[in-house]
Amino acid sequence: MSIIKICNLKYAYDGNRTVLEDISTDFELGKIYAILGPSGCGKTTLLSLLGGLDSPSDGQVLFQGEDIEKKGLAYHRKNNVAFIFQSYNLIDYMTPAENVGLTSKLPPLPILERLGLTKEEAKRNVLKLSGGQQQRVAIARALASDASVILADEPTGNLDEDTAVEITNILKECAHQMNKCVIIVTHSNDLANQADVVFRLKKGGLQKL
Amino acid sequence: MKFTQRAMLYISRKQGKTVSLFLVVFVVAVFLISCFGVLNASERLSRDIRTSLGAAFYIRANTEVSMNENGEAQVKENNVHISWKEIDEIMQAGEIKYYNPINYGFAKSDAIQFIQGDKHTAENNMGKVTALRFSALASHFADETAVLVEGKHITESDSGKILISEQLARANQLSVGDTLTLTHASLSEADGAYIDEIPVKTAYTRVEVSGIYKLNIEDISIKPTAGVANNEIYASLDVLNELHESETGIYTGEVDFYITDPAKLENITRNVRDLQSIDWTTHFIRTNDFQYSKIADQLSSLGNLVKILLVLVSVVSTAFLTLLLTMRMRSRMQEAGILLAVGVSKGQIMAGFLLEVLSVAIMALILSHIASLCVTGFLGHSLFGELQPNLINEETITTGMQNGLQIENYLKLSAVETLLIYFCQLVVIAASTLVSSIVIMRLKPKEILSKMS
Repeated sequence: MSIIKICNLKYAYDGNRTVLEDISTDFELGKIYAILGPSGCGKTTLLSLLGGLDSPSDGQVLFQGEDIEKKGLAYHRKNNVAFIFQSYNLIDYMTPAENVGLTSKLPPLPILERLGLTKEEAKRNVLKLSGGQQQRVAIARALASDASVILADEPTGNLDEDTAVEITNILKECAHQMNKCVIIVTHSNDLANQADVVFRLKKGGLQKL
Repeated sequence: MKFTQRAMLYISRKQGKTVSLFLVVFVVAVFLISCFGVLNASERLSRDIRTSLGAAFYIRANTEVSMNENGEAQVKENNVHISWKEIDEIMQAGEIKYYNPINYGFAKSDAIQFIQGDKHTAENNMGKVTALRFSALASHFADETAVLVEGKHITESDSGKILISEQLARANQLSVGDTLTLTHASLSEADGAYIDEIPVKTAYTRVEVSGIYKLNIEDISIKPTAGVANNEIYASLDVLNELHESETGIYTGEVDFYITDPAKLENITRNVRDLQSIDWTTHFIRTNDFQYSKIADQLSSLGNLVKILLVLVSVVSTAFLTLLLTMRMRSRMQEAGILLAVGVSKGQIMAGFLLEVLSVAIMALILSHIASLCVTGFLGHSLFGELQPNLINEETITTGMQNGLQIENYLKLSAVETLLIYFCQLVVIAASTLVSSIVIMRLKPKEILSKMS
């Protein structure tokens, strides 16, 4: 069943430089989607539109059949989607536990431990963690939010090969065991190969591979 | 996580930034409060000087110098002869606030052993009596060579009241509230000795010690007992009348007149000199502007200087605070982007930023209040220490209660003034924070996040 759907989506920078043109597709729960494409093709823009970080020039993003603009983009970001960024985007004066606490009122330790962080690490400043650990915190924050759609922008881009594999496995677990819809934007074919569905974004169009 | 929790975490974890903001707000607040304190003091002191008794003129009798048969110079001190009628006319001359007629005489008392002067005997054991309407206006008190240390000054409503010196009181174990009997006396010189010209006493009066004064000058000249400065008794006008040394409504010592505005002194004395009822061949006028106008001008210049300084400091500190807060907010752009991405509303993000800044600022303002008391006190004493005039204020004259000029009272800002300064500072801080936040919040979350990357 489709959880998030895009209909005739268009996006142009400054009203003239079009990066997305008339894109329509839908995404289902329990699957990992990978969106491939060269730099500057609009992958991150598409992810931003899906996550309500920006509004399309034309077309709609529907969450469970309803236009996300209807209840407001802030509502959509708070309740329906969660982001994982390439640069982790953790708040630097907080501990992992406090970062996870930004999106959930539930105790953060169980989810952090599940993602491989010890209790001590969960209470350290996030800047004192390795890149892989920081990305785990970012994933924990996304999972703690209870959002059904996880939007990941190059989640393994800053990680070494082994850590990238671990993070990919966690994302697969999110989709397949926790029944989330995981949409990953990447230019890594290795990561895309792990996805259930792969799209290629080229010249403003989205092509299913 | 609530915005309050986020704000407290930021304050406690980003200690460098918290301390730098704290110090800037603290220093600016101390400076502003101190400057306003000095400005306030200079304005109030200047105003009080201008509205206090700013000048006086004294009507005194001429001294006649003549040659005797042997060709020796003889000095004759005339008495003033002014009655209440002339005073009434002079008071019409305009803008005179107080008049203080003075009669001089001598008195003895069984209860007083006067401080011994030259050629002291039991016969010349007497003190000079200065009977007047307001003792606070007497020249010794006006120029602070004498200061009331206990009790009350003599005012026009008093009768049977005297002020004695601290030394005389100590020597005779007298204190405020004690009563004693005075009798008349008259000092003269015969065969090289000081004598009392009234050997048979017929006039007595009961008086109460109303106050005790202390002389700030040392009396080193050789004088008879009655001329020793510490033996001088200030009395209400009725005392010498009771001792038959003066008549009610007729003044033989001098009559002093006090005005508020020194600028009008010349005009008023010119008008007084035109009065025909006073014999100006035997009387003259001496004027005194107490140099108050000079002091007031100095205070006014100081006030203007502080005003310029205040404007400069206010502008510079406001600009600096705004810049600091803008930079602080810019460094929070990433955080704002992350918070927006996780669905925190713009209002909550701004409220968090505002709470952080205002919490630190309020702490700084509270501590700055304590620090500014010390700084203001120091500045006040440095700036006004040499400038303090002896203000003859209305309260001292009319109630007799001596209130010394306390510079601290002038430097203190009222609670409302202090709060207003703090409020203005908080408004600047809040406005700078909000404006900087709004600049960020007007961007779309995607723009913020792309700026970050």
